[in-house]
Amino acid sequence: MNKTDEFIPTSLYPAKTKRTISIAFIVVIGFYLVSSITTESFIINFFLKLGNITDLVGRFFPPDWGYVNNVWPKLFETIHMAIIATTIAVIISVPFCLLAAHNITTNKWLYNSMRMILNIIRTIPDIILAVVFVGLFGIGVFSGIIALIIFAVGILVKLMSEIIEAIDMHPSEAIRASGGNTIQTIWYAVVPQILPQFISFSLYVFEINIRASVVLGLVGAGGVGQLINKEINFLNYPAVSTIVLIIFAVVVVIDWISGKLREGLV
Amino acid sequence: MIEFKNLSLVYPNGNEGLKNINIKINEGEFVVIVGLSGAGKSTFIRSVNRLVTPTDGELIVDGEDILTHNGKSLRELRKKVGMIFQSYNLVKRSTVLKNVIAGRLGYTGTFRSIFNMYPKEDMELAYENLKRVNIENKLYSRADELSGGQQQRVSIARVLTQKPKVILADEPVASLDPPTSHQVMKYLKQINQEDNITTIVNLHFIDMAMEYADRIIGMRAGEVVYDGPASEVTEKTFEEIYGRTIREDDIRGGEVNE
Amino acid sequence: MSNQLPPKPRTPAKVVKRVIILLAVVALYVWTFSSVNINWERVFSERTLENINRIIPQFFDPAWAETGTILVKMVETIFIAYTGSLAAAVLAIPLAFLCASNMVKNKFLNTIGMWILGAVRAFPEIILAIIFVAAVGPNPFAGVLAIAIGSTGMLGKLYSEVIESIDMNIIEALEASGANKMQILFYGIMPQVLPEFLSYAIYRFEIDVRASSVLGIVGAGGIGTLITFAYLNRNWDEVGMILLVIIIAVTIIDQISGFIRRRLV
Ligand SMILES: Nc1ncnc2c1ncn2[C@@H]1O[C@H](COP(=O)(O)OP(=O)(O)OP(=O)(O)O)[C@@H](O)[C@H]1O
Ligand SMILES: [Mg+2]
Repeated sequence: MNKTDEFIPTSLYPAKTKRTISIAFIVVIGFYLVSSITTESFIINFFLKLGNITDLVGRFFPPDWGYVNNVWPKLFETIHMAIIATTIAVIISVPFCLLAAHNITTNKWLYNSMRMILNIIRTIPDIILAVVFVGLFGIGVFSGIIALIIFAVGILVKLMSEIIEAIDMHPSEAIRASGGNTIQTIWYAVVPQILPQFISFSLYVFEINIRASVVLGLVGAGGVGQLINKEINFLNYPAVSTIVLIIFAVVVVIDWISGKLREGLV
Repeated sequence: MIEFKNLSLVYPNGNEGLKNINIKINEGEFVVIVGLSGAGKSTFIRSVNRLVTPTDGELIVDGEDILTHNGKSLRELRKKVGMIFQSYNLVKRSTVLKNVIAGRLGYTGTFRSIFNMYPKEDMELAYENLKRVNIENKLYSRADELSGGQQQRVSIARVLTQKPKVILADEPVASLDPPTSHQVMKYLKQINQEDNITTIVNLHFIDMAMEYADRIIGMRAGEVVYDGPASEVTEKTFEEIYGRTIREDDIRGGEVNE
Repeated sequence: MSNQLPPKPRTPAKVVKRVIILLAVVALYVWTFSSVNINWERVFSERTLENINRIIPQFFDPAWAETGTILVKMVETIFIAYTGSLAAAVLAIPLAFLCASNMVKNKFLNTIGMWILGAVRAFPEIILAIIFVAAVGPNPFAGVLAIAIGSTGMLGKLYSEVIESIDMNIIEALEASGANKMQILFYGIMPQVLPEFLSYAIYRFEIDVRASSVLGIVGAGGIGTLITFAYLNRNWDEVGMILLVIIIAVTIIDQISGFIRRRLV
């Protein structure tokens, strides 16, 4: 029985692949239906009720341009929070980046516990950090800054430790072989390799912090978010859209500047 | 003077790097170690500055058993024993001068070295050593702008700047083309003769070994299987060390006649 | 032969640039530290000490009794994230093709597409959520919309980068064999980009789970709703429990999605 000789492919893909893909597809769609039904959110509604929605969104327009001058002080506060938090986070993250890189921290136990702490920190949403610190230190900039620092350290250490793990270890071997101590080895052989990326990531974290510090105000942690919260409560939607548009412009400008600076680095 | 006494090294995974080595290397000698890949040449050389730690026996460098060294005394040892690597091991983004001055790190406090506060003599020494290998015009270039041969010369200058008594070189020319290889070996030989620095070089090219060495040590499977003056070595000796006939890629060739 | 080091070569332009950057940075910091308004007396007050003594112990003694309610809301959070991500994963595809310069050979349209995506990305999800809560009321649907729109911005950009990096030779070959535009799309382009699209969509889902867990703070459904209540009622043990659930859920989802993404590529 020469079955193989008579074999004619009926499909472009092997049966197993087809089955896997079909199952995956059904799971994805099934889960989607379950989610949609439980949350009563059908994306199609967005298009069906588009008229309604645009009507309601219309309440935000036109922006109240007379409100612009009320925005600046809080907006600057947001920027200050981001600058201070980023600066402190950058300083704090230096030793932690080294501890979370396995080619520098050869102690497995220390390295693994650093990694674990790091992963936990990164799962905590920034706004919850802010809620907790506002509870501790009261409403204001300070609580926001502390929340941003922790948030930023989590991101920065993660990004930087990966860069450090990818560096060329040969130079540090040479420095050790010529009698350099640990600090000298890091300073001469590791730092020059990672400095451009470190600065670049710091600027990136600054961008993220600007966005985050807008949000933190919603729970009373200082900055322009506090203003949004207030105007929302007064149902003063035109003022909200003024604030949002200004934030938008500032975020775009800061991202652009920081992007230019980062391009010049590497 | 360096003396290996019944020295053995077993890597944590059980590989035997060195097996009961007994060798005496005299001051100012230019020793070339040959052997096939995996014979233990790197392990031999790296034991001398304790980049690897032998597990048994004694290793005497400059009158001290170095196997017990750690921390401060280990760094003192490494100040005396300079090393040159196959892949140069320069910090690519740093300038040539910064790479060379790194040879002074063992002599300089942590604080001073972080803020580049080197004594004037150190800077002059670094510059003088760059001149010795004829690369002083690249002083402020970034290391990655240099060719392989130039980078290896910078790494020689770095080693000289640390004023070592011993220079170790692990396959210093393996990544270079034949003329550049000879140039680098000539610098090493010249420094060995002028400064009377004991030099141990790993090579796997037999013609280069015969040309530059005072003495040749042959290794196979972690053991010393030959030890004698370079003048007495023939191709036959290499065939014994390698345990096979000599092939074309055992010879570097390309000798440039001055 | 002197051993004097030659002077460092410095170009005036470089020096000027450095000085300008330095001055700008110093000015920025002076401005920041001279005008930032931290109420140190409040920060280091009796109240803070009291709060620390009261809140921290509660916080680390989570309200296990609330586990049921909190889990239900966490599931809702995941559903919001999923619905939003999936919608975004689909919506982003046409936008990505619009932005990809090797697909739409019209610089003007590419730029318009980039601008739309860029504009969307500049808004934090929670701000979008505020707007949608105003538009459709305080329910999960507002959250889904916020997630869907916010994710479309990022996915569209990532997708378009994937599309721009594909191997165009295959498309040429298909064109040469007489395939029409649709056939090229399904035989030449989709097989190349689909695994990466999927991988990015799953990655975005990870981010969206984090994002949707706080949207409730502005009324857009999910576990965030509970945060507001717990916080207003000073139930710190509940905040602790909510945080614990979020940490565990996010970790599990990260692991699963990481596993799937590794198998995709
Ligand atoms: N870090 C290590 N861990 C375990 N085994 C090792 C290690 N380094 C080397 N070895 C083993 O020790 C033996 C000697 O290796 P060594 O690197 O000294 O050889 P070599 O003569 O320098 O070879 P090559 O010419 O390839 O550089 C080999 O069997 C090698 O596999
Ligand atoms: Mg070797």
